[in-house]
Amino acid sequence: MTEHEPDMIALSIYLDGELGIAERHRVAAHLAACPQCASRLAALQALTADFGRLPEENLGFDLAGVIEGRLAAAPRPHDKQGAAGWWGLLPVSIGAAASIAISLTIGFGMGSALFGGAAAMPRVTAMSVFDTLPPGGLCLGPESCYSKGARK
Amino acid sequence: MTRRMDDEENELAVRAQAGDRQAFTLLVRRYQDRVFRFILRMNGARDEAMDLTQETFIKAFLALPGWRPDARFGTWLFQIARNATLDVLRRRQCVEFVPLDACLPEGGACDPRDGAPLPEEQLAGRQRIALLERALRELPVEQREILLLRELEGMSYTEIAATLDINEGTVKSRLARARVAVLAHYRHHAGEK
Repeated sequence: MTEHEPDMIALSIYLDGELGIAERHRVAAHLAACPQCASRLAALQALTADFGRLPEENLGFDLAGVIEGRLAAAPRPHDKQGAAGWWGLLPVSIGAAASIAISLTIGFGMGSALFGGAAAMPRVTAMSVFDTLPPGGLCLGPESCYSKGARK
Repeated sequence: MTRRMDDEENELAVRAQAGDRQAFTLLVRRYQDRVFRFILRMNGARDEAMDLTQETFIKAFLALPGWRPDARFGTWLFQIARNATLDVLRRRQCVEFVPLDACLPEGGACDPRDGAPLPEEQLAGRQRIALLERALRELPVEQREILLLRELEGMSYTEIAATLDINEGTVKSRLARARVAVLAHYRHHAGEK
């Protein structure tokens, strides 16, 4: 055992009674023979005693009443668990059924598209995205820029 | 805390979990001052500590379905209180304090002055308490919380490890560092006299 053993960690653990039996005996034997370490332990013990003398702060009122009021509007934890019954699973069931139905529809649709030939392909209607006249282009005449319907 | 009290509390928690508001009320009454003291010592602001104590119990009630009886109710509750407090401290950007000059290097050996005559013994009792309160305010949060859980709450190393979500080896070293830091604080102020 060296001069400075046990270290402060061991003394701190010793103070808290959390050392194993063998180690506790070893430290106790060292403390009996080493005034320096005994003095360190005494400082740690005094610190623990100081914590015991700290003013005892209290809340000063019955919090349970306040909590009761606030929880009155909150759902009970039990209710949350209760909601896990079959009623609680209803939205999940509907969602699952809907997703299966959609999957089947898409599956059949793709299957018929792949194997049913071009005749079964849905017609794609191209949309007119761009005007025939470029921005800033001149109208050659009212008819070229404005449809008849629009002029009415 | 005795095993019997633990069992009683867990029984109350089980009842509260099943929707028994009265059981939860009993738990609130049993823990309200302890939770309040812990939060107050952590953040130092009384009004905020009162609000956080209330929030802790509301959160605990709402989280009760997730609590498992193999966890001690008190430890679980302090986890909630601690997390709520740390959130507030982070928002206040107070989590990182300048650490006191802890004298515990990596090897765990201590400042040679630890073996010297203790100046802290020269401090009067009231002065020591004032210094301890000041040291607690100035300690890094991780040292402060571990000291509070051990010295005020009397938690075992296993319970502290569960509350702080660290291993027991870390509990041992962190707690020793925190104690040495407070003693260094005493020494520093005793030296000024």
